Amino acid sequence: MGLAKIRTGVLGLDKMLHGGLVPGRPYIVSGPPGSGKTILSIQFLREGLEGGERCLFIALEEPPNELKINLRPFRWNLDDLDVLDAISDIRRFEPTPIMEISTETEPVKMRAVGEGIRKTPDFESQEVSVHSLLQLLKKLFVKRKYHRIVVDSMTALKYFCMREFEETLTTQSFIRFLTEAGLTSILTLELPEEGEAPPEAFLARGEVRLHKLRDDSGIKRFISVEKYKGSSHEEFVYPFDITNAGVTVHVANGDSRTPS
Amino acid sequence: MSDRVSTGVEGLDVMLSGGLLPARPYVVSGPTGSGKTILAAQFLLDGLRRGEPCLLVTLDEPPSEVKANMGIFGWNLDRLKILDATPDIRAHRRTRSVIDVGTALDVRDMEDVQGVRQSSQIHALEVSVHSVQKMIKQEFSHRLEKAKERYRRIVVDSLTALKMFSMQGEDSRILIQSFMRFLSEIEATCLLVSERLNRTTIETEFFLSRGEIRLHKWLDGNVIRRAVSIEKFRGTRFDDHVRPLSIGGTGIVVQPNGQTSFRSGAVSLRVGESFLESRIIAEVSSVLDGVLHQIDEAHRKQIAVKDVEVAVSRAMVHFQRRNYQKALKQALACDSLLRQRLGDSPPPPPPTELPLPPGVAR
Repeated sequence: MGLAKIRTGVLGLDKMLHGGLVPGRPYIVSGPPGSGKTILSIQFLREGLEGGERCLFIALEEPPNELKINLRPFRWNLDDLDVLDAISDIRRFEPTPIMEISTETEPVKMRAVGEGIRKTPDFESQEVSVHSLLQLLKKLFVKRKYHRIVVDSMTALKYFCMREFEETLTTQSFIRFLTEAGLTSILTLELPEEGEAPPEAFLARGEVRLHKLRDDSGIKRFISVEKYKGSSHEEFVYPFDITNAGVTVHVANGDSRTPS
Repeated sequence: MSDRVSTGVEGLDVMLSGGLLPARPYVVSGPTGSGKTILAAQFLLDGLRRGEPCLLVTLDEPPSEVKANMGIFGWNLDRLKILDATPDIRAHRRTRSVIDVGTALDVRDMEDVQGVRQSSQIHALEVSVHSVQKMIKQEFSHRLEKAKERYRRIVVDSLTALKMFSMQGEDSRILIQSFMRFLSEIEATCLLVSERLNRTTIETEFFLSRGEIRLHKWLDGNVIRRAVSIEKFRGTRFDDHVRPLSIGGTGIVVQPNGQTSFRSGAVSLRVGESFLESRIIAEVSSVLDGVLHQIDEAHRKQIAVKDVEVAVSRAMVHFQRRNYQKALKQALACDSLLRQRLGDSPPPPPPTELPLPPGVAR
């Protein structure tokens, strides 16, 4: 305790975190595909927007146009959210000039995101490497002060943007960069259906994990705080739903045994 | 909703609350023989019936076999364009005359398909993600130019084959990313057939796809049972139950209100697991059962066991994620803790007053 905290935008999760997140630090939200990571991280940004903070979403997986369409049912006002499209273009196999994403690239406001997908230009394609992304962000952060940022997802960054880099070291330095920039960040991380979590989980100051289990009545979702440096937190695994209001954690029904 | 793309299977559309969202790539996964190719064919058939141009990229089965197999259902797939990307018999001596498929485009109408294409004596066709992408692109722009039509539906059967034939190491992730980006940019609704080879790694197509339809197949006694579930579907709500699926004379039928026993589902997961693994599963579940009973008992006797409950919930998560060793360790720890506490009970009645420290007079 003692440390000031900011809210995550998910009431039940704030309770589990005993108040919220310690600002200025990087956190991981992990879970298998389809467990609700993106929705949860958008709620985190929305909370910031409502408090007048400047927020940035870095899209590495889902194209911004689809994100916009997918979030429509929630009716959240995300107009002022900055969205950076950091998805590499279609690769060219012929020896044509490949441009690294330039430091001139600017995020667009959510309200300006179009309906269609960005098309790869005919004669050159844009490639995003972790190095060029870092340069871009450095320049951007000098120009503007951001409070909250989401990287969706770390897995995509590792898989598609670290071709000539050592993965764990590079991830570590990326997370270090976000910390030095003094912003509160959420990095989403894909988990395999079974087995161990990838090493990135250990690099952040905290990890919120989403679990997706099946039983007779369909998919059951659970959430747990795996790690939280500098704060106490709930040890239980709590059930949650994705409704029209987004991720809703049921902290109240205290007995949280996973289905037996 | 009218802006949905039907899968061609009525029950599945109900589960998807209307169908797929257009212009996005989806994954169909499942073990061999679970009906992936039939589902994909029904998806294309539905498109043809609506007069949409459809393309099948086949890597597993040669077109002639696809044609024969689908003939059984009596579907009219004549207008389906089929792109034959099955690799030729490899010439063992690598020569310069090995060419990429891309340069020898073979797109045919289904009705023109006859025998298996014979491997050319002079050069063998090799398949890579690059060449398949190039083939689709050529065919796409060709069609756009000639008939002023865009392909609305594309099926790649299967991505697993593509990955196995042509991927070298690390780059495969980037190639798949780029391939899926390509498919989203041509704005066709795509089904990628993929077999999940390894549950402990995160495969690119599963997290990049906008949804996953998973087919299940298991042995129930000596009957093969089938089911379908939706594991992920971005941008809309969906039915998250496992629903029974059957393959009959008219193709795949899904009962959107049917129940299928999850116990059998669990058995299906066990097929193929080693004897040792099933032993440990039985072991963990019996220990967990015991622990849960003891917790109930503890509650009745009003013994504080909150910490044990926390530990049990962890053990169950491990169990569900199939980390059996960890689950067993945790469950056994809970078990011994509980035994200890329950053994201590009923606790001796607390002394009504604290004994006075020695040397203090009352």
